[in-house]
Amino acid sequence: MKGENQSNVLLKEREDFIYCKDGCKTDTFRCDSESVSGAVSQRACVYCGARVVLNPITDAFHIVHGPIGCASYTWDIRGSLTSGEELYRNSFSTDLMEQDVIFGGEKKLAAAIDEVANVYAPKVIFVYATCIVGVIGDDVKAVCKAAENKHGVRAIPVMSPGFAGHKSVGYKMACNAIMELIGPQKRDKTQGINILGDFNLAGEMWIIKDYLKQIGIDVVAQITGDASCEQLQKASGAMLNIVQCAGSMTYLAKRMEEEMEIPYVKVSFFGIEDTTSSLIRIAEALGDEEAVRKAKALCKNEKDKLQDFLNKYRKNLEGKKAAIYVGGGFKAISLIKQFNEIGIETVVVGTQTGKKDDYEIIKQLVNPGTVVLDDANPAELETFMKEKHADILVGGVKERPLAYKLGIAFCDHNHERKHPLAGFIGVINFIKEINLSMNSPVWDYIRRGAYEQTFS
Amino acid sequence: MSKHLVSLTTNPCKMCMPMGVITAFYGIHKCMSILHGSQGCSTYIRRHMATHYNEPVDIASSSLTEHGTVYGGEKNLITGIENLITLYQPEVIGVATTCLAETIGEDISRIIHNFYESHPESHVKLIPVPSGGYMGTQYEGFFRALYGIVSNVEMNKEPSGKINIITGPMTPADTRYLKAVLEQMEIDYILLPDLSQNLDSGHYDTYNRLPEGGTPLEEIAKMAGAKATIELTTFIEDGYSPGKYLFERYGVPYLRLNLPIGLRDIDDFLKNLSELSQKPIPRTVKEERARYLDAMIDSHKYNAEGRAVIYGEPDFVYAVTRLCSENGIMPVVTAVGTKCKTLGKMLRSDIEDVAGRVFVKDYITLDEADFEQIETYALKYKANMMIGSSDGRRIEEKHGINLIRCAFPVHDRIGGQRLRMLGYEGSLSLLDTLTNTLLKVKEGGFRKELYDKYYTPNIGEPSPESLELTLEDKKKTHPCFSCSGAHKYARIHLPIAPKCNISCNYCVRKFDCPNESRPGVTTQVLEPKEALERYIQVKKDVPNLTVVGIAGPGDALANFDKTEETLELIKAYDKNVTFCLSTNGLMLPMYASELVELGVSHVTITINAVDPKIGAKVYKEVRYLGTTYTGIEAATILLANQLSGLKYLAERGLVCKVNIVTLKGINDEHIEEVVKKVKGLGASITNIMQMIPVEGSVFENIPLVSHKEITALREKCGVHLEQMYHCKQCRADAIGMLDKDISMHYSVPEKKKEEEESKEEKGPIRFAISSKSGMLIDEHFGHAKSFYIYEYKNGEPVYIENRNVDKYCSGSEACDEEQDKIEKLMRTIQDCQGVLTLRIGNAPEKKLLDKGIKVFKTYDRIEKAVREAASKL
Repeated sequence: MKGENQSNVLLKEREDFIYCKDGCKTDTFRCDSESVSGAVSQRACVYCGARVVLNPITDAFHIVHGPIGCASYTWDIRGSLTSGEELYRNSFSTDLMEQDVIFGGEKKLAAAIDEVANVYAPKVIFVYATCIVGVIGDDVKAVCKAAENKHGVRAIPVMSPGFAGHKSVGYKMACNAIMELIGPQKRDKTQGINILGDFNLAGEMWIIKDYLKQIGIDVVAQITGDASCEQLQKASGAMLNIVQCAGSMTYLAKRMEEEMEIPYVKVSFFGIEDTTSSLIRIAEALGDEEAVRKAKALCKNEKDKLQDFLNKYRKNLEGKKAAIYVGGGFKAISLIKQFNEIGIETVVVGTQTGKKDDYEIIKQLVNPGTVVLDDANPAELETFMKEKHADILVGGVKERPLAYKLGIAFCDHNHERKHPLAGFIGVINFIKEINLSMNSPVWDYIRRGAYEQTFS
Repeated sequence: MSKHLVSLTTNPCKMCMPMGVITAFYGIHKCMSILHGSQGCSTYIRRHMATHYNEPVDIASSSLTEHGTVYGGEKNLITGIENLITLYQPEVIGVATTCLAETIGEDISRIIHNFYESHPESHVKLIPVPSGGYMGTQYEGFFRALYGIVSNVEMNKEPSGKINIITGPMTPADTRYLKAVLEQMEIDYILLPDLSQNLDSGHYDTYNRLPEGGTPLEEIAKMAGAKATIELTTFIEDGYSPGKYLFERYGVPYLRLNLPIGLRDIDDFLKNLSELSQKPIPRTVKEERARYLDAMIDSHKYNAEGRAVIYGEPDFVYAVTRLCSENGIMPVVTAVGTKCKTLGKMLRSDIEDVAGRVFVKDYITLDEADFEQIETYALKYKANMMIGSSDGRRIEEKHGINLIRCAFPVHDRIGGQRLRMLGYEGSLSLLDTLTNTLLKVKEGGFRKELYDKYYTPNIGEPSPESLELTLEDKKKTHPCFSCSGAHKYARIHLPIAPKCNISCNYCVRKFDCPNESRPGVTTQVLEPKEALERYIQVKKDVPNLTVVGIAGPGDALANFDKTEETLELIKAYDKNVTFCLSTNGLMLPMYASELVELGVSHVTITINAVDPKIGAKVYKEVRYLGTTYTGIEAATILLANQLSGLKYLAERGLVCKVNIVTLKGINDEHIEEVVKKVKGLGASITNIMQMIPVEGSVFENIPLVSHKEITALREKCGVHLEQMYHCKQCRADAIGMLDKDISMHYSVPEKKKEEEESKEEKGPIRFAISSKSGMLIDEHFGHAKSFYIYEYKNGEPVYIENRNVDKYCSGSEACDEEQDKIEKLMRTIQDCQGVLTLRIGNAPEKKLLDKGIKVFKTYDRIEKAVREAASKL
């Protein structure tokens, strides 16, 4: 079981995407480009981006127009929770077959929508156009339009062929679909805000709403965590939009600002500092002095409560080294800061879709020697995690087995997690998870070495 | 067997073809795979496999883009193959297509040919497998890959004396078992594919990204010279059968057997293996068989109650159904997602046999099934267990039908790669799991089931649900009335009663009533509905909340309408709550019976004197039924009402506490009298309290009673009646346990002191901030489409607004020109004194400086940067 001839093998085309602070031949760094073929990118596709954004709408029908795979792999994919309908936890597909590919799938799609409209009388149907739909010439928009006229339901096409870019294009398509659903009609202003870009993973939307309630701010629409169709249609009456996942929802916030005159502020509920400044800023943006006072009191109280916890855990974590591989740039930055705060150094950091400015900050934040990667592949993660002796990897579940094989702890910061990482409670959960993985006794036994060392 | 929805597949019970292709290639030595299509396909399949096998799963993609889709993706695929070789140095590469590649008509055999032409030095074997997602499921994909391997490898016809074993999809652990049996019987075999190592490897000091296990191509080449082929699959398509191919092309005899699961099919497999190889079946295997038989007997009675749903790939469903049927578990629903017309026919005799024995009339076999159908029939035919992949978990969650996870994919449990069901031992382990699942339900539920079914409560006896807590229970859980309760249970004081009807000389009505409250505290008054909301909120956060008290800020009974409404609302929400109320007692005769009806169980009455002469010194005035009384008259009315109220409540079993405020030189000598008197009327405890002087009150300056004196008083009176020693003199809006008030957390913070506000004399400083994330200063000045405007005032950064640059376009000029863009940015922020940005060009920075706007370059958190910048300005 030797692999010496393959360690440190990196692709020439990938060299520009890798940067080592104070240890590089050049200072050039590429990002925000197409993936290199055959490089085993961790990125997903346009459809994936659209589906993950829209899926949390609890009473929507999601019909995936295409062959079965796309519906199969995204069925109930996010841990988004609901307080109402369970409809969104289903995955509907036109399940296109060879015949449909040859003769076109429009009829099947139309029949599918007819059935759904007749049997379920849904409020809204999202129809996702996958890779081959455009190629075989199906006019999904026309089918949806006809269905709307026929049944008086909303049938909204989501143009998301996988090859048309990466996930962020899908986010945009999803935002367009949400705008369609909200509709152009003007509404009287209601006292309250919309939350954009929280998907209620492990109840995070509920946690944020609860903070807002405590400081006296009402929520009009949740986009899209635990959202309902009816609620989304009220969104245009809100006073303010707050944007939590900027990567997916800034586009929607901008459209709503332009078309509905709703201003927006970006927020983040990851970590004590972000949560604090976000709550205060929301109150300030509304010009609500009472709420500002309450927000300050709430955050101070919560922060004070965390001090003992943080002091206790710091002992176990100080001096460890982390590798980070996540979707967007801001999340990576936020993680580096959170790690810094508890005395953990980040030695490898990468993102799937980070932008130039993000990497500029990342480079500033990390210590010399840290490796920065854009659109990294498993071989690179393996090489640098070993080289830099990372103790823990923060990433998505695809990367988990790799970390484990290398004897490295793991923290799931992706949408399949089952405990909230947002808000003040999220700080506790995050640090607990880091500790319980990194300080598990199993690593001691792993480090003792394999059979040969043990029994020689 | 009509589906609910004909044109739609709802919750698929199948995956796409490339999934099967990739899985099969994992059984080949030093092999990698690449999917020709868009990036998402390989990412999805990787995620699915990685979480089931708990192994790194690396699958390359040609990452087709729009351009490749229109003009052909040959370049992408060839680059992809080159990069894959550089990264992993494989000996074999499986090249599979996806929906997209098939639909745009990519000819991967030709592309592979072109690759060899342009890379004459390459020795990597490239094996094409056309596998559009719509051409079939992962089950067919698996065999297409095997067929592709066998038909693409150059064969060596020389007789090898080996036996080819070709398998359908099975777990790595089952594959290891199969190899162990073959090795035990000393059979020279070639296994295709061999997933035992690559999808379930151990932990070693070094990690190899290239799978080192699996069957090498040199071995596969020898399949043409084998003595025979055994294909362990029931439903393989003839056109993609490697065994049939080897037979037709090279004359290798082949035998198709069911997967060796369940007694009959294991027997059959071993018998054939032994005959073909001329090797005896080992004694240990015979012993395993005996143990399986023994286990079948042990569990047969429990199994007879099993009504199973079995779903998944055809070979799996077939094998498990036969295992169930031979053990008397009734397969009420058997379903495959694949198109498999022969499944029903093949299973009929097995299912009918059990159905006849246990008198089950209704059962169904489905192909091309989805989970909506499976769910419908599972309920209709009253299934009590499901056997299949994790995809049944939603049905399990929704309907409480236990799911035995033993097929790909298992995402919500660990150990998918180690599942066992092959051979006698594997079958036994599965059988035990099935039986234990049935037993778990039985053992866990029979007590309640039998109770519900046969037990009838005596008439008149309340059913357990309607049992309310007794007064005694309530007393135990009241923190003020029970010392042990003080540390375990929490209370909430709802400040709904603002008015008061008497004036005490130690009180100023500007503040809360000091009877029960910490003096000098002003509480925000709640409406009854708000009070309910706060209760619900607090109950959520503080589950040990057992007591709701009304303690002002005025007198609970002077605001009886509010008190009544609040208690009604809360009672409707939570009937087990303990109500407690404190009063000066003036209105008790009027409302005592209503309090009893409302379910109030604890009442605190403040009685500072039982002699009107002393009372007259304590009370300034008493407002009773429209008239204001003073002096002895006032004290007499009050005392009479207090005492008669106390008696009435105590007689009706309410727990009555009497608070006595110790007033030095006024009633301190009289307190023992009070205690004795109220004891006689039924009070169960007295609380002798300190007076805390309130500024502006009549008693502002009377000397204080020390703690020591209070304790001495309590001890003295303790002879007569129980004393409260743990009183905290709580606020009227106190929340939590006595020693841990958390009310500030729920209430409006007090107004800032005036002096703090005037601390900062400078006017506000205004900043423009370029930020993409909104948290950090992470945007180049020139890239900003909007600016966050912050002001620094009174020592705090305050968010003002978000300014969209486009709105500051002057309109007349063409705004998209570079020069004008800067102008536009300038206009947007011209009223600011500072700019905070990640970076800025020299020219704009100079322009800003010319206008007197200072530039700060930073990547810090916004609030922190504003503070720092302000300190420098």
